[in-house]
Amino acid sequence: MGFLGAFLLAPFITMVFSPSSPSYSHYLALWTDPYYREAIMHSLLLSFSVAVFSLCLCMVPAWLFATRDFPGKSVLRSIYALPLSFSGILVGFLMILLFGRIGLIPRLSERFLGYPLLSGLAYHGAGLWLAYLYFEIPRATLSLESALSGFDTRLPLAAKSLGAKGWQVFFWVILPNIKAPLVSTLAITFSASLGSFGVALILSRRFTLLPVEIYRQIAGFQHLESAAAMTVFLVMMALTINLTARLGWSRRESSGEVLHG
Amino acid sequence: MVEAPKLENQTLSLGKDGIPLLITVALAAFLLLPVALVFLGAFLSPEFLGIASETWAAEKSGWLTFHWFGYVWNLYGEAFFFSLRLAALSVMFCLILALPAAYLLALRPFKGSRLLEEIALLPLAIPGIGLAVALIQTWTLFRGESWLILAGHLLYTLPFMLRVLLHALRSMPVKEWGWAARSLGADSRQRFLWVTLPNLRPALMLGSLLVFAISWGEFNISFLLNTPLRQTFPAALYATYTSNSFSVSSAATVIFLAGIAPVLALIQWFGGKHFTGIGQGA
Repeated sequence: MGFLGAFLLAPFITMVFSPSSPSYSHYLALWTDPYYREAIMHSLLLSFSVAVFSLCLCMVPAWLFATRDFPGKSVLRSIYALPLSFSGILVGFLMILLFGRIGLIPRLSERFLGYPLLSGLAYHGAGLWLAYLYFEIPRATLSLESALSGFDTRLPLAAKSLGAKGWQVFFWVILPNIKAPLVSTLAITFSASLGSFGVALILSRRFTLLPVEIYRQIAGFQHLESAAAMTVFLVMMALTINLTARLGWSRRESSGEVLHG
Repeated sequence: MVEAPKLENQTLSLGKDGIPLLITVALAAFLLLPVALVFLGAFLSPEFLGIASETWAAEKSGWLTFHWFGYVWNLYGEAFFFSLRLAALSVMFCLILALPAAYLLALRPFKGSRLLEEIALLPLAIPGIGLAVALIQTWTLFRGESWLILAGHLLYTLPFMLRVLLHALRSMPVKEWGWAARSLGADSRQRFLWVTLPNLRPALMLGSLLVFAISWGEFNISFLLNTPLRQTFPAALYATYTSNSFSVSSAATVIFLAGIAPVLALIQWFGGKHFTGIGQGA
């Protein structure tokens, strides 16, 4: 308890209320200064779009893992689980290998098509977006899988026996029943991307993101106050997102959730 | 909680499930391909890979080289052991702190114990960089001290251990076992040591593996709390990514993966299908 007090509660209280903590003007600057506002907007937009996209995309592997048996399934599943342990910087590096200036994709295309397709993509918005997608695919897939495998599989069978087509079963039987885990998966991926620091640290050249900006304020300019103001904002956002999801999905005490940590 | 009845999984039919399978395999390829590139970069000579700028340092003959590992080891070996120690200490302290805490929270609930539990699990919902900045603000003078970094790691890993233990304790009929043991004359110490603890062993194992994996890969907190002089291995990775060549970065990454792969394999084995909560906070 003392440990929690000293290293969890006290730091946050200090960050918000001590003399060295940000004043109102610092918080206000997050909105009025176009530079900070841009960082926040980029972060929100990027994280949310990746979260929604990965949610839709990862329904497919999650559904396959949850409802089908096939040889090699455990291997395939481990491939999805592996990147969970990668920190963001590693994902950033991997994206440079694929889409950097002499990444695999540009080099292959230069050999076969004669010009380096997508060269340097990793450093643009699109590359950053792909990196975040890489980061979220494992989270989304495993979280959705645990949601889908707890699903009563007799329901779709019943619907089918009543003559529903595959897509009808999906939209009218399965989706409404897994609404809560869907929202919570979205919250997990959204807030994980929002706080993600390493990916952007490696890749973001053209524009800034909130966590990178926090880092720059600390390491580069020694502006602890503005860093703290941004951090407070980031933490509040993350907590709000997680809380919203929790309210939507009342206490699921299963060990199958994927929390971003 | 009553489990929803679930029918046996169907076997995959290539005709009906062809497209989903294709998407699944394609995504897996997207995840795996760059990792494969890392291995190529670490073991193959740059000349063989056609990266001319790197040929200065590699042995001129042969396509297989271990040169880069030696290079990384000389530069960042210390960081490797620092991370290893940090991870081992995290596991140790997590066990010491979480075991009594989980026992108390799960079996001897008191007023406010629910709130305490929520607070202890809170770091799971806070971005790592948020924790780091808060810690820096509060303990500015001690930035770079090993114990502060360890505290950061503990803050971040403790909830995982706690969650695994709480889940295990709440899903076992510990109370009933306790009654049975007491009726046979066991006192509370004996009940804990010989009844509860042995049944907790899988959870303790899984929790320790998770804590190790997370601490080993943790970047945000350690990077911001540390001074450049003493780095964790993920921070060393960052250094190679920003200032070393592809081959060196790849070799460092392979070393990093070698540290975590056996742990992940064990987690898969222990946790089976149902435990996936090892997300690294970016």
